[in-house]
Amino acid sequence: MPSFVIRRLIQSVLTVFGVMLLTFLLFNVIAGDISFNYVSPKAPEQQRQAWLKRHGLDKPKRVQFFNHLYKSVTFQGRSYATDQKLTTIIAHKAKYSLGITVPAMALGWISAMIISCVVAYYRDTWVDRIGVFLAVLGMCVPFLAYMVLGQWLMFQINPERAWGLDKPSNIYVPVLIAVVAGIGGSVRFYRTVFLDEIGRDYVRTARAKGVPLYSVLFSHVLKNCMLPILTNLVTAIPFLIMGSLLLERFFGVPGLGDLMLSSITTRDVPIITGLTFLTAVVYVVSLLVTDVMYAVFDPRIRLR
Amino acid sequence: MTTLTQPAVSAAPRAGRSLWSDAVRRIRRDPVAMVCFGIIAVYVLIAIVAPFAFGDWSNHYDYDNVNAHPSWSEPLGTDALGRSIYQKTLLGAHVSMTVAFMANCIAVPVGMILGAIAGYYGKWIDDGIVWLYTTLASIPGLILLIALRFAFMDRKLFGGTPLQIDLDGMAGVYIALGVMSWIGTCRLVRAETMKIRELDYVLAARATGRRGIGILFRHVLPNVFHIGIIQFSLGFVGAISAEVMLSFLNLGVKDMPSWGKMINEARMDLVVGRWWEVTAAVVATFLIVLAWNIFGDRLRDALDPRLKTA
Repeated sequence: MPSFVIRRLIQSVLTVFGVMLLTFLLFNVIAGDISFNYVSPKAPEQQRQAWLKRHGLDKPKRVQFFNHLYKSVTFQGRSYATDQKLTTIIAHKAKYSLGITVPAMALGWISAMIISCVVAYYRDTWVDRIGVFLAVLGMCVPFLAYMVLGQWLMFQINPERAWGLDKPSNIYVPVLIAVVAGIGGSVRFYRTVFLDEIGRDYVRTARAKGVPLYSVLFSHVLKNCMLPILTNLVTAIPFLIMGSLLLERFFGVPGLGDLMLSSITTRDVPIITGLTFLTAVVYVVSLLVTDVMYAVFDPRIRLR
Repeated sequence: MTTLTQPAVSAAPRAGRSLWSDAVRRIRRDPVAMVCFGIIAVYVLIAIVAPFAFGDWSNHYDYDNVNAHPSWSEPLGTDALGRSIYQKTLLGAHVSMTVAFMANCIAVPVGMILGAIAGYYGKWIDDGIVWLYTTLASIPGLILLIALRFAFMDRKLFGGTPLQIDLDGMAGVYIALGVMSWIGTCRLVRAETMKIRELDYVLAARATGRRGIGILFRHVLPNVFHIGIIQFSLGFVGAISAEVMLSFLNLGVKDMPSWGKMINEARMDLVVGRWWEVTAAVVATFLIVLAWNIFGDRLRDALDPRLKTA
């Protein structure tokens, strides 16, 4: 068991290192000279050199990479554009992102679980068929169309609430759109998980013993389905922080996703790498936790 | 009925039917899959023909017919510059299908070869490839896609040679999509190869002195090829959706109408009551995504009932 955890830990550290390497390559090497985004091209060369020197971009790439690693790990990055500390920015903006994603995920998860339970319970009847049909239809509408339509509907009802965050309750529109857009896929996924389990022998045994179907479903089957369901949930957590990039941009919510998009356009490299690092670390850690939990609860996995 | 009247011996060849002909037979018997296949075929045809039919699209301004409602002469109405929505929608099919096709042409072979190598050789080669895809998977896909699009800006591949590829245009979109969507294929192929590696016929091939690379291409890859086909068809869904999102961020295909751009422009359109452009684009996207989704699922069931990529 300890060797398994240690091996997974080393893998996780290497993965985070890989993410840092990739962001460095993408934004510091391939992107080329970004100083022209911050120093006017008409300004004297000296000013540009001073800017480069101030941000440590005059050093060789190797040194830059270690600086980049150090600053990411210690969260010491500062925005090129506003010179604010990354941690301050995150502390300020995270609440908007979480304000959309957390309710959206909770609502979406609960409703998807309920619907898929019902659909799986009534499998091979018209309830199931209609449910699956609607889920597939919902999956196939482009996300952008949901946003456009949702905003337009809100605009018809109350134009002041269709954009921006002047009133805190404006956030319900993007939350609702996120739930509606995501529910088709999740219902289909959870339905397969439930049906896989319903076909097992122990379900037949329990039924043969005379246990009522709803009791089999909710006390036996649900317990055994928890593993894939939890993995699905845990691996979605890191993406909560970043918020829904498109929704934030579309509804004028000043969260981290919006910040990420605008930072990419303005090449605010410390912000981009800092946020990517944060997401990657949370992702890797939550995967690690799930794997270790699996190994704790299911001894077969340790053997691999 | 014929099988009943024939002697039992003639049933024997049926057992030897190949995976492929069996899959084709199952798909043919499935009316839903055939309808979806028909829709896909129509889209492919449109994608090929549209740029030739409407090549002069970009200078088709008609200021007397701005924002026209759908009518007999303009079946889907016109946009704010008097251009035909009908032509725009059909040209959008060209963009979407080309981007999705090319992205898959990059992603699926890369994923299959890397997955087979990782699964077959194991050890540090496996560790390296697994590291590579876990790294890619830990960065949110959309961010990676946007970053790649920015990295590609104003750049050319093989500049100066006849093979020159302009990374700022459509090629950049599908290369960026292809570079990041091989992970799923790679995972599945790797897992399958690890199983195949232990089978007797691979051992036999090794015993006859075949080298690793020969076994890989002759005995392993053909046996995971169906995964590639399945991923290829399911990959269309992701690529078409991604193209729509990129267009929303103004990082999509330039100089050509695309469904993403048409939906994005509708933000302003709907307020003034111009609903036909967004409807045409949404219906066009919806139909092809639906068709690929269902067809991909049926294909997967036909080719490999055990495989589940949900």
